[in-house]
Amino acid sequence: MKNLLQKSLKQLTVFAFIVFALSIPSYFLLVDWIWLKELDENNELIAERIENEFNEQKISNEKLAQSIQFWNEIQPVSKIELIYQPLSKDSLYTVMRPNPYSTKEAIDRFRGLKTSIKINDQDYSLVVETNVEETEETVAYIAMVTLLFFLILVIGFWILNRRFSKKLWQPFQDTLQQLKSFQLNSQKPIQFQDTDTIEFAELNATLDKLLQHSITTYRNQKEFTENASHELQTPLAILKNKLDILLQSDDLTERQYHIAEEMNKALVRSSRINKNLLLLVKIENSQFDRSELIGFDTIVLQSIDALQEHFKEKKIDVSTDIHSNIEVKGNSSLTEVLISNLLINAIRHTLPEGSIRITVSKFAFEVSNSGEQPLSPDLLFKRFSRMSADNRGSGLGLSIVQEICKLHGWTVKYDFGNNAHLFSVKF
Amino acid sequence: MKILLIEDEKELALSIVEYLSRESYLCEVASTFTEAMKKIEVFDYDCILLDITLPDGNGLKILEELKKENKQDGVIIISARNSLDDKIKGLQIGADDYLTKPFHLSELTARIYSLIRRRQFNNSNIVRQGELEIDLLAKKVSVNKTMVALTKKEFGLLIYFIGNKNRVLSKSTLAEHLSGDFADMLDNHDFVYAHVKNLKKKLNEAGCEQFLKTVYGTGYKWEG
Repeated sequence: MKNLLQKSLKQLTVFAFIVFALSIPSYFLLVDWIWLKELDENNELIAERIENEFNEQKISNEKLAQSIQFWNEIQPVSKIELIYQPLSKDSLYTVMRPNPYSTKEAIDRFRGLKTSIKINDQDYSLVVETNVEETEETVAYIAMVTLLFFLILVIGFWILNRRFSKKLWQPFQDTLQQLKSFQLNSQKPIQFQDTDTIEFAELNATLDKLLQHSITTYRNQKEFTENASHELQTPLAILKNKLDILLQSDDLTERQYHIAEEMNKALVRSSRINKNLLLLVKIENSQFDRSELIGFDTIVLQSIDALQEHFKEKKIDVSTDIHSNIEVKGNSSLTEVLISNLLINAIRHTLPEGSIRITVSKFAFEVSNSGEQPLSPDLLFKRFSRMSADNRGSGLGLSIVQEICKLHGWTVKYDFGNNAHLFSVKF
Repeated sequence: MKILLIEDEKELALSIVEYLSRESYLCEVASTFTEAMKKIEVFDYDCILLDITLPDGNGLKILEELKKENKQDGVIIISARNSLDDKIKGLQIGADDYLTKPFHLSELTARIYSLIRRRQFNNSNIVRQGELEIDLLAKKVSVNKTMVALTKKEFGLLIYFIGNKNRVLSKSTLAEHLSGDFADMLDNHDFVYAHVKNLKKKLNEAGCEQFLKTVYGTGYKWEG
């Protein structure tokens, strides 16, 4: 993963490279064209000058012939030759040949002009050639300069990027940090930093709207659960008491008694679901003090003791490995709920004559019970998702365990191995 | 025995009154904060059942008032709010007990019974029925002056039966009484049977008459 600026820097560098690379032939062609044009003008001036100077001498034709011969000997690059008809058109050309004045054996480029001049009313052809810089050399110089500028540009980009990116992206980083630490149930509103960048301001405004909506929805949902549970308490209490009175009727038949007993059991379950929903809401509202120092091992031992008769009833073999003086910071009544929920869960889902192992160490609390099939860890902690055909539980026990862990900053995990379900809470 | 029930929910109040009036309790009802305040000013009660959430005031205020006036009425808070804070606060102000709705009327009766016994017999609180003798303070049971060793759970059950004499107690009710919050999570209530069996056996072996009868197959009734 790269950050955004590095990505754009790479694209920009590639683009700059292409532009600079294309500029090299363009510069070359341009420079060469100007050069040749200037040389052509220069050659024409030289030709005119030669013509004028010969004519100003006003020498006889024989003397002229001698002079021209002499001229041609000392100026081999600007040859004058007698012609009988003036050239119809001047011709321009470029040749590669050794430089007669140079001691080095190198091939040079020359720009030539072949034109006709009149001396003493006789037509002569004149060739003027001037040395031009070679193509390769020009290209090389231009490429070198271009490369230098390219490097300056890339280094400049890089430095500016580093310098500005922090400042430029600071509002974004701030927003990101706020979002990272945001918790829907913390009830703390988010305050985004003011920014004069249109994009960030727009982002913040949109996020703010989105969050406000989520917070409102979440609060409504929670309030609904809370109110519904509270409202249900009274009718449940009335039902329960009416059943108690029904049980005391003198003319109650055994069949009616059993119906009342079944109703009571269902009622107990509704009350439990109700209580658990309220508990979940309260945990989510963070209505619990988490600063108590709890003797975790003591609570575990007490819970095991309280459930002893249920272990016995199901003939469950219980083994423990509980270190002493395990102290954790948190809420003692919630911790009690967490421990008993996990233990009761194990008892309920262990077949008679199965086994349960409970361990408490400095770092973790683990409950494992014998079982045959692994369970889906995704569904386990979901509210009202039942893993077994036995649907008599409240369907909230493990959700509560998870919420309590979340509140304390602990993690709860499910594993299956060696024919045993393992629930582990890491502090 | 005079009991004041402060409860705004009519149906609930009716049930409680009906259940309690079968004992030798005289039960009065106040359905609002003001009504309750008026009553406690004028009369004294053996026990006050107090709902915290009232339409025109907080029940805890009534409790505070009682304590300020130095009244000796026993108070049991009955609340729909299962909040530990409320419980601690209520008990701190001076309530004798705390019961969360929904509760079984047999549970309430047992608590009232214990509370009144505690308040009436400060030094020796001994319940007698035939050859059976129960010391509520020392938590000791004897038959024909011979001690019977009961476990904590068995003793609790015995008191529950005594507090609900001649009433039908179902197995699920006893399960809720015995394991409190755990009972409804564990669907198997056979452990109740085991405890009752042990209690019966111990009393029987000590030579106690069989007061505890099985009714409707799975229910129990303490006769006396």
